[in-house]
Amino acid sequence: MSHQTNSQTKYSLQHRLVLAFGILLILFLGLTGLVLNQAFQESIAASVEERLQLQVYAVLGVAEPDTDMRFFVPDLEEARFSQIDSGLYAFIFNQQANEVWRSPSAVNMNPMDLNMAGPDITPGQMIYGSAQTEEQGPMSFASYGTYWSGLDQEFSFVVMESVAPTDAEINEFQSNLRLWLGGLAIFLSLAQFALLRWSMTPLKRLAQDLAEIEAGNKEQLGEDYPSELHNLSNNMNMLIQSERQRQTKYRTTLGDLAHSLKTPLAVISGVVQQDRKLDKKDMVDVSEQVDRMNQIVSYQLNRATKTSQSKMLASPVLINPVVEKICGALNKVYLDKKVHLEVSVSEKATFYGEASDLTELLGNLMDNAYKYCQQQVHIRIQDSDKSLQIEIDDDGLGIAEQDRHWVLERGARADSRESGQGIGLAVALDIISSYGGELKVESSALGGASFLVTLKAA
Amino acid sequence: MRLLLVEDEDLLRAQLVKALEDNDYIVDSVQDGELGLFQANEFAYDAAIIDLGLPKINGIDLIKAIRAEGKVFPILILTARDKWTDKVEGLDAGADDYVVKPFQIEEIKARLNALLRRAAGFAKPSLDFAHLSLDTSAKKLMVSDNQVELTAYEYKVLEYLMLHPGQVVSKMELTEHLYEQDYDRDSNVLEVFVRRLRQKLDPEESLKPIDTVRGQGYRFNVPPN
Repeated sequence: MSHQTNSQTKYSLQHRLVLAFGILLILFLGLTGLVLNQAFQESIAASVEERLQLQVYAVLGVAEPDTDMRFFVPDLEEARFSQIDSGLYAFIFNQQANEVWRSPSAVNMNPMDLNMAGPDITPGQMIYGSAQTEEQGPMSFASYGTYWSGLDQEFSFVVMESVAPTDAEINEFQSNLRLWLGGLAIFLSLAQFALLRWSMTPLKRLAQDLAEIEAGNKEQLGEDYPSELHNLSNNMNMLIQSERQRQTKYRTTLGDLAHSLKTPLAVISGVVQQDRKLDKKDMVDVSEQVDRMNQIVSYQLNRATKTSQSKMLASPVLINPVVEKICGALNKVYLDKKVHLEVSVSEKATFYGEASDLTELLGNLMDNAYKYCQQQVHIRIQDSDKSLQIEIDDDGLGIAEQDRHWVLERGARADSRESGQGIGLAVALDIISSYGGELKVESSALGGASFLVTLKAA
Repeated sequence: MRLLLVEDEDLLRAQLVKALEDNDYIVDSVQDGELGLFQANEFAYDAAIIDLGLPKINGIDLIKAIRAEGKVFPILILTARDKWTDKVEGLDAGADDYVVKPFQIEEIKARLNALLRRAAGFAKPSLDFAHLSLDTSAKKLMVSDNQVELTAYEYKVLEYLMLHPGQVVSKMELTEHLYEQDYDRDSNVLEVFVRRLRQKLDPEESLKPIDTVRGQGYRFNVPPN
């Protein structure tokens, strides 16, 4: 299974196409080359034979036997016969394979070589062949048998031609062929590359669009895909949309659940507080239990609504407006405390995730700062390419070094001087860890606690 | 102090009404947003307690509608949703504070008291004018550091006047804010309370803290400390 997945994923579509097309190209051009070469060689051979045949007839046409069985051949039209070592030679052999005439061009030829050229041959027959000679290298020859009735003798007329010129011709053809086929291969490869790129563009764009959605810069896929991808992009858009709706519905449902669980708790709590028949201890017990139930409901519902797996559908959230809103809210709630707030958030600081997670994180940490400070709260948020840093300082009592580790433990509170549910920090921690970040508690320059959140940038 | 309470859960509403009335607030309570908006537009309230999860008009929209009508009385949100998104949304819509369910009645009382005080511009729980000091959490009046006993109605009248210092408060307004709707609004009763208050606040008639503005009403004329 894993092997299969490997080979399935190892080659990208582009690799597959390049590979397949490349193999086809090599096969096609290679075979074309072979066929063309073959055809050319055959046509050259045919033309050589034709030429030799013509020369044989030319010699035959003018040859005159004299009385001592030798031949007299007047000047031949073909000048190469009279030119020594010209590469074109003519011979006449008698029945006993003795040479009876040779063209002036062949004066330097070794008679030994010629034996091969004088085979037994029936009159009227033309045979072709090739032979290796010492002086002239490989030769093609044509040999024609004839019966001279006046002499009552059979003779064979042989014309030999050096193959060097035809070899050169073939070589030239071959190198031309290679050049052309090579050029064609390069051109086709480039064309293939361009075509692939062009036809892959929509797929690339799809991948880019998905990455953009993942990074939160886009809401959904565009409409302008080619018809083959249209269904896919439509379905993906529907999927994204329904997933978003599902999440919203999920959160709303949980919110409603919180509402419907907590209202009865509030009623119970009210009944207990107003029931004068209950003794003090019972009242405290019931109140404590109600408080615990409330904490559990709050904490678990908070955890459940927190998004974890589908960051992909999150949009980037500008931090500054969120901080402003929370500060506005807290300034209202803690109006009497006249908190001196200093905020330094870079304009473009961005959180990649659910807006509600950011609100929850900042809300809880800032609420703590407002709650425990004397007068001052400083908020600094910096984002770099690598990370997002949120630092929240107050001038309260701070948290002693030995208490810090358990302050960070779930639901822990360093002291109990403030009534409250004590789950704020736990919720904040949960959110931070779900985004793969970390929370540190230190002493602040203001004298109180300093909470430092570091989140990885998207 | 007349409060508007909008809460859809009958038991909780009844509990809150009882607790608040025990604390000398006049409470009008309704069970949905539509009625809440009607009440807020029809009557003069000193504060409202609004649950966020309401039928017909939800809490947030109700608060927005009340603010859009130009009402400035403080609003305390009750919410079961303790997510910051909801709290921030509620406060942003125009509420002034929130209490998360379940809550201690004491917390509601304390928050409400603070809101009322704050709405009148007082930062501390005690309203201090010259040598007069009204402790709104303990509901005690100190005159030159001596505690002076007040009846519940005397306290209500004084607190209302002190929370509107320098303003003319009509008898009509006082009765609206201090009495149940079906109470017999006999203005002579108010005159009796005010006369008694004047004696308790200023037996030597040196400060004369409460003016009678002829044909209009009363005015607490001492500037806050």
